[in-house]
Amino acid sequence: MQSNQLSRRRFLQLSGMGAASVVLLAACQAPAAAPAAEGGEAAAPSAEGVTLTFGHHWDAAFQPRQAEFDAGYAERHPGTKFEITYNTWAEHNQIVPTWAAAGTLPDIIYVHGRYAYPWSFEGIVIPTQDYVENDAEFDVDGIWEESRRLYMLDGKQYGIPYDHGPIIMGYNKDLFDAEGLAYPAEDWTWDDFLELAKKLTKENQWGYGGYYNTVVGLGNEQGISLVGPWGGEVIDETETKILLDSPESTAALQWWSDLIHVHNVAPTPAMSTAVPAGIRLTGQAAMFALASWGTPELIQNAAFQWDVAPWPKGPAGSKAGAFGSGFGITRDSKQPDAAWDYMREYLSKEGMEFMWGSSGRGSPSRQAAYDSWLNSEGAPEHAKFYLDALNNYAVTGRPYNTLAGGEILDIFNRHTDLVQAGEMSVEEAIAGIIAEGTPVLEEAAAKKGQSS
Amino acid sequence: MLQTIMTRTRRKPLTLAQREERDFYLFIGLWLIGFILFSGGPILASLFFSFTNWTGLTSMEWIGLGNFKELLFEDKLFWTATRNTFFYSFGAVTLGTMGALFVAILMNQNLPGTTLLRVIYYLPSIASGVAISILWIWLFNPQSGLVNYALSLIGIEGPLWLASPTWALPALVIKSLWGIGANMIILLAGLQAIPHSLYEAAKIDGANQAQEFRHVTLPMLSPVLFFVLIISTINSFQILTDVLVMTQGGPGTSTYVYVYMIYQNAFQYLKMGYASALAWILFIIILGLTLLQLWGSSKWVYYEDEGR
Repeated sequence: MQSNQLSRRRFLQLSGMGAASVVLLAACQAPAAAPAAEGGEAAAPSAEGVTLTFGHHWDAAFQPRQAEFDAGYAERHPGTKFEITYNTWAEHNQIVPTWAAAGTLPDIIYVHGRYAYPWSFEGIVIPTQDYVENDAEFDVDGIWEESRRLYMLDGKQYGIPYDHGPIIMGYNKDLFDAEGLAYPAEDWTWDDFLELAKKLTKENQWGYGGYYNTVVGLGNEQGISLVGPWGGEVIDETETKILLDSPESTAALQWWSDLIHVHNVAPTPAMSTAVPAGIRLTGQAAMFALASWGTPELIQNAAFQWDVAPWPKGPAGSKAGAFGSGFGITRDSKQPDAAWDYMREYLSKEGMEFMWGSSGRGSPSRQAAYDSWLNSEGAPEHAKFYLDALNNYAVTGRPYNTLAGGEILDIFNRHTDLVQAGEMSVEEAIAGIIAEGTPVLEEAAAKKGQSS
Repeated sequence: MLQTIMTRTRRKPLTLAQREERDFYLFIGLWLIGFILFSGGPILASLFFSFTNWTGLTSMEWIGLGNFKELLFEDKLFWTATRNTFFYSFGAVTLGTMGALFVAILMNQNLPGTTLLRVIYYLPSIASGVAISILWIWLFNPQSGLVNYALSLIGIEGPLWLASPTWALPALVIKSLWGIGANMIILLAGLQAIPHSLYEAAKIDGANQAQEFRHVTLPMLSPVLFFVLIISTINSFQILTDVLVMTQGGPGTSTYVYVYMIYQNAFQYLKMGYASALAWILFIIILGLTLLQLWGSSKWVYYEDEGR
């Protein structure tokens, strides 16, 4: 036998080591005419031959709406072409940083509120403050301040929000009718809610279904909605201190936990996840938290009558969380002026009405455009309660002004998961969140401070 | 003169060994170029990044061993992820290898229909990871899932599986058995390479089936088993898809595994330097385990050409 011929042993060793090395190292909606914007006519046509690139997250059903808007824009700005990359919502937030690292960001990207601050801080999205200030026809004040603050860094506007919505209470009218109960009153309280929830709970049916199956959750729009009515806060304004250990916040979280474990009017995670479509959609939840952007899904899928009511008042009054999404011009854009020309029309009153209002897709971040959504097929009968919340008691849910937003929310979730499952007390969860979360917030604040 | 030059420049014909060596480099060459260009560079870069606080975007500072110190001495989640990963790996490799060996032995029987059965057992291992993970969410559904239905048939009330902090990780171990087909094929090839003469000799010596398995099958199959163990261990340490799709590390931190921690830090928290340090620690862990297995192999792996 040749001395260098591979024996079976040698082959297996080499294959094993080779494969090991590689794997190891590797570890390391209804059409309408597309609008011209406020001031759109006044805007100078884009330069001939401009190709604008986008990173959107629209699903296939909504892409024709986008194409229609773009076609209208191209008519108003001859020579403009569009190259659009549609990511899934889940993947978009991971794809954008890789585009940024590679220097291949499109001109305009979708920016979820949760990523607005870190993406602005890291320079992925450039400031639009100068454009906003120098564009008299772009009515930035017509966009709710609560939604704009998501997209601000050091007092400057970066991204521009296109939608902003609060959490209010959705309810299954059929289940109320079956029990002969009156629908929630406009001035109802959490005590009223609990009484109704008890009456509406029976086998395989819960009085309250949570927010996307989560009863005790501290996500941006949910966290403040849970503790706010009791006078509590999730996190302070500097976003360096977690405030869940205040008597108000603790009492509030205990009240929500008791819905599951004491009053048995809300499901444990095991119960709710046992219904893959979600108990809200299957009609097994009499009441459920519902953000404005969640209404199209119900309209499309719910086989029952439903409506919305205000978020109930607590001992400290009315308070609910709101959140939203927007768009930003990126640092890799070679034509930020052309990108702004597009953004000012896209996010104008007429643009928002066309894209998100009359299409029923979601609640526009401009009050002036809100009526188009309230009157659309995508809005429930009493959708005006969303507008009431935005105008009166909804606040943008923190954290959104820290580089550690994602990490903090994951820390919240890891603990509230266990509270919901009955594996951890509220006090233990709060202590764990503070112990784990405070250093993370402090580190993020230090990094923020270093750069400023 | 010309004849002399031609004689001088004529190349000696390659020996069989040299031809084999040339073929080896030709075959491996393309892969090697791809590896150096698309993997080698990023791997070396990640080593550098592990000593920085790079976000993957703009800012970067050299922080020396800062990431490693924080991971090893301050970040409790690191130890949770490591512990969970070891638990998962131990369960998945042990049960997976035993399961693959058991099925390979069954598939090695000279019975009608075994070819079709081999295909059936192998098919799951080539199915899409995400689709299979979603399928298993349904199977583990505490109320309407097939797993708890099967248990109910024998009078057992099944646990909450993925919704239970106690059972979620064992559930992922059970799910990992779905992919034993790939190892089954390797082990089946190993079983079929064992000369029949050895079994005949054992029979002549009076060995029963258990003794044949212990003294013929296992020693002859040991190099293949060793290969399967190493590859399975490495793969198991890199579990991500199942966690990402089925549990997102929860409930609590019950299924928070190592590569999920790398993924979160790198792509969700924009802590690329920290994630790089995590990746290199994982590299060291797996390298250590592989070396340990190599060292241990001298005690149980039998190579025919060694004559032991």
